[in-house]
Amino acid sequence: MALKLIANYSKRLGLPGYSSHQFSVSVETEITNVNDVAGEASRLYLTLQKSVDSEIQQTGFVPSEGYGTADVLEKGRGGHPSGGNGTSGNGIWKCSDKQKDLILKLMDEHSLAKADVQNLAREMFGASEVSGLNKLQASGLIDRLIEDNGGKPPRRGTTPRYSNGRSR
Amino acid sequence: MIALASPSKREARDVLDEPVSASRLTLFHSCRLKFFFRYVQRLVKPVSPALFVGQAVHHALQAWSNRRWKSQPCSDNDLWEAFDAQWTTAQGEMDEPIAWDDEEEQTQRGKAWTLVEHYLATTPIPTDEKPLAVEVGVEADLSDMGLPTLCGVIDLVRPGGVIVDFKTTATTPDGAMALHRHDLQLAAYSLLYREATGENETGIELHHLVKTKVPKLVVTRADPINQDQAARFLRSMVSYVEGVKREDWVPSPGIQCQACEYVGDCMKWSGGVE
Repeated sequence: MALKLIANYSKRLGLPGYSSHQFSVSVETEITNVNDVAGEASRLYLTLQKSVDSEIQQTGFVPSEGYGTADVLEKGRGGHPSGGNGTSGNGIWKCSDKQKDLILKLMDEHSLAKADVQNLAREMFGASEVSGLNKLQASGLIDRLIEDNGGKPPRRGTTPRYSNGRSR
Repeated sequence: MIALASPSKREARDVLDEPVSASRLTLFHSCRLKFFFRYVQRLVKPVSPALFVGQAVHHALQAWSNRRWKSQPCSDNDLWEAFDAQWTTAQGEMDEPIAWDDEEEQTQRGKAWTLVEHYLATTPIPTDEKPLAVEVGVEADLSDMGLPTLCGVIDLVRPGGVIVDFKTTATTPDGAMALHRHDLQLAAYSLLYREATGENETGIELHHLVKTKVPKLVVTRADPINQDQAARFLRSMVSYVEGVKREDWVPSPGIQCQACEYVGDCMKWSGGVE
């Protein structure tokens, strides 16, 4: 009876710019004698290791120092498609689509006049238009609209709630 | 055959789908097993008196900032009412109330209020200064870098874009060490602020209220984060993602275990194998 022997060799190497690359080779072979397992495994290991080592020397694209980090910093300067400095794909509004929808929903639910919300935005941020509020300002406006209309601003954070207390 | 135990229905990928806050990231890098108990297994622990006091002080300072923002009266008396009401409400909302000893609650309430009073008397923030944001929730989508969404709640943003974080502590912090200890949090808030406003923060302030017999306020100021801090933060995020994917839950025994609410669970931990 034929015995199936499966071998896999994998290697992961670190690269600059917080990246790494990995390559693995797998083979499946058959042997007829169980006593051949050790010898065959040893042979396969050497073969696979050689193959992986030979190929993994080709690093391909390697990010330069600051790669990714620059993207993060750039986001804050409007470099991101939904960055705070420009529009965020929701017309002329500077906040996120989600924030815009929530502001409009709150206005609708509580029958808030546009002028009143506009005044609140002016009072809080000196903004002439609600649509001109950035994400930070829109978040503050939403909290105030909820609070002023009898609600409690949402509990935020990612920590599962303890028996009480705020979560983060 | 050794198999990984799976005591929770939640898996690593569930955690990776969730936004990452600075506290989640910091916890992962300080003790992965504690992270596992809190965020994967979601083991609920009762609130400690110290945490409760910290939350009460924090809430009072939040009320103070909000009142300044709304141009409402914010004298000690005005704030006392808010503080007192919140103390009672918070206790009522607890699933498992704190088991105070005898008059300990009154003592702790008094200590907490003393901290608030001390802050109001010594804060560098003028009473008529209007904030840019108070307890504001912000997010940054980092999916284009293969990272989870970053989220956070910034305590206070002062005019001009100075990020403020309030802390209560039992010991007087050393400035440079405090900034280093909170490096991930400060970098996270800065990046979140930049994402939300399109502008760089102009500075960062840690306002530590020290719970000594005579309370102290220690304000530590820092410049806007630099490229190296952003790089460190990003590397920590990458490490977080890789560690969670590997389900790399290992304990990091140390002095911090003395105050860890999961120390009992940790001591019983079998190594994640069965």
